[in-house]
Amino acid sequence: MTTTLAGGRAARRQTMRRIRPRRSPAVPLLIAVWAGAAAVLWLWWQNTPSVADTTGRVLNAGRITGLLAGYLMALVVLQMARVPALERRVGSDRVARWHAMTGRYTLCLVVAHVFLIMWGYALQAGKTLGDVVQQTIDSVNQLPDMGKAAIGTGLLVLIGLVSIGPVRRRMPYDTWYHVHLMTYAAVYLTFWHQISTGNDFAVEPAAKTFWYGLYGAVTALVVWFRIITPIRLNLRHRMRVEAVIEETPGIVSVLVGGRKLHRMGAEAGQFFRWRFLAPGMRFSSHPYSLSAAPRPDMLRITVKAIGDHSARLRELEPGTRVWAEGPYGALTAQRRSRGKVLLVAGGVGITPMRALFETLPGAAGDITLLYRANSTQDLALWDELAKIADERGARLMYAVNSPDGARPDISAESLQRKIPDIDRHDVFLCGPPGFAQSVYEALRGAGVPARRIHHESFEM
Amino acid sequence: MKKSHPIRRAVLATAVTVSGIVLLLSLKPATDPGSAAAAGGAAPPVGAAAPQGGAQAAGTATITGTAVQTQYGPVQVRLTVSNGKITQAEAVQAPSGGQSSQVTADAVPKLNQAAVAAQSAEIDAVSGATYTSTGYKESLQSALDQVQSSGGGSADQGGSGSAQAARTVTGAVAQTQYGPVQVRITVSGGKITQAEAVQAPSGGQSSQVTADAVPKLNQAAVAAGSADIDAVSGATYTSTGYRQSLQSALDQAGG
Repeated sequence: MTTTLAGGRAARRQTMRRIRPRRSPAVPLLIAVWAGAAAVLWLWWQNTPSVADTTGRVLNAGRITGLLAGYLMALVVLQMARVPALERRVGSDRVARWHAMTGRYTLCLVVAHVFLIMWGYALQAGKTLGDVVQQTIDSVNQLPDMGKAAIGTGLLVLIGLVSIGPVRRRMPYDTWYHVHLMTYAAVYLTFWHQISTGNDFAVEPAAKTFWYGLYGAVTALVVWFRIITPIRLNLRHRMRVEAVIEETPGIVSVLVGGRKLHRMGAEAGQFFRWRFLAPGMRFSSHPYSLSAAPRPDMLRITVKAIGDHSARLRELEPGTRVWAEGPYGALTAQRRSRGKVLLVAGGVGITPMRALFETLPGAAGDITLLYRANSTQDLALWDELAKIADERGARLMYAVNSPDGARPDISAESLQRKIPDIDRHDVFLCGPPGFAQSVYEALRGAGVPARRIHHESFEM
Repeated sequence: MKKSHPIRRAVLATAVTVSGIVLLLSLKPATDPGSAAAAGGAAPPVGAAAPQGGAQAAGTATITGTAVQTQYGPVQVRLTVSNGKITQAEAVQAPSGGQSSQVTADAVPKLNQAAVAAQSAEIDAVSGATYTSTGYKESLQSALDQVQSSGGGSADQGGSGSAQAARTVTGAVAQTQYGPVQVRITVSGGKITQAEAVQAPSGGQSSQVTADAVPKLNQAAVAAGSADIDAVSGATYTSTGYRQSLQSALDQAGG
């Protein structure tokens, strides 16, 4: 008994030595973003000696909104530049939500800027609010780079409209995505009027340099991480489909072979954006998680046939070329801060959990996996999971609907009953949004602090 | 995984943005501290690209004193000296921001007048603006020293050969919706070395637009070396008038 206990402690120490929680850089990044916004406002403050009357107020409100919109526009693009620090440390899901939020806000600022500036110009020319439309037409015709800016703004509004929830859901993903790509053109078109007509840039050459620097840096990051990095990755690893395996009805695994795949630096819990170069699939790429720890010659993804794209995966021929971008995602072992870990998977959310279940360091009894599915037939990868559990002495539990269709009880009480020391665990959670939300609340109720619940959600 | 409240967030973002902008606007003074210098229809500051004393050929010199630091900010005086007499004094820099703007707006025109009247730096301090007055006198003295050293305000050729060919040409007055615009340029060696507006719309909003646009137009004229310059946004009429007057000045200079 003593020996076992000592052995257990030694093993735990061994495990803890390998746990190095890495803090997400989100907080310093947000501070930098706010500092940048403050610098932009300071620029306006420095260049504006006074604000006299209504015209001055309207015009200066227009300038402030314009400056902020120009600043945030660069950040909106930066958020989608697939910078590893954002994708792998902050987490792709969180960055995507930031992107959506910043995008909406920036678009509102752009609209406010256009309206306020044109209203201000109309007042300056001794006209009234009613002449805003005529003033806009005149300004677009007369001022430098305003034609480009008008087209760019039109594009931005269009992109904003197709991204509104109900509109987006009715559109095929690929159409939406390609409309969204026009943001680059819109940002390019609206950039030049900022420099040529922007009051603060005309007065302050240093500001102009800063602005070129900001947009130049973002452009460089986009070119490097969205274009050059994927090209190099795919030239180096030359991935092809090896086999397609049906796991359960509606869930398939795709085995992807290639050269030196371990050199891609992928970790269990991460995903790639996959593009299969087969007819009809060439033009869209989709994020799928690795469902096993990456091997030097093989990667595996497991996918549920929900959309067009995922349904076509089962028809993939072995030998099909694969274009992958990644690895992305921050739901990895680096999030862990405790010796004990609970993994909770809902449905096809098992894929990253399966990879973590296999690879998370831990002594016997440290790792627990709770797998929720509709029925026992839907428990994809169950045999592998049972084998892993056996080999590592990990706990494996499942929760399925009872034969009469009643949902299993996953509540704070039932979790505490099954895992009495649940509040000392790190929890990794992956599943459909409703499921994730209810499990999150149950976990919080069972005493797991929010900072130890690690979750990835691509719902906006 | 906290519950998101999109409506609440949108309302909050709007409220914070609107109140932030309103706050920023209300913190700015209502009068332009720079307008004190421009008071009395003086030309706005010339572009940085122009050398000092551009109007020498006409027997008139513009001399800028050193910037003197005061507790509230720098003060810098520029004099126009014609045939050894100060014909105009203005502050190109004066304390601004908050209470200072008001003090400056009050004191600087008085100091300008006093300098022209006294023809020296022996002027009384304006009550309530002691620091600004002291700085003003110091900068004024430094400007006067420069006048003396160049021989009683006569044209300082500065040893540059091209100054021989320098001449000042004033363009025709161009009428705009808001008032007349007239441009004066200094041409040296076939190039515009300095451009300034001797007349520009003033009064109310126009003063601000002028103070904003004219320095940019001056710079643009020197940079372009022609009347082919872009309009300043928000000052379309002034820009158009400026270009017309500039073209007429160039026609004179060329012909």
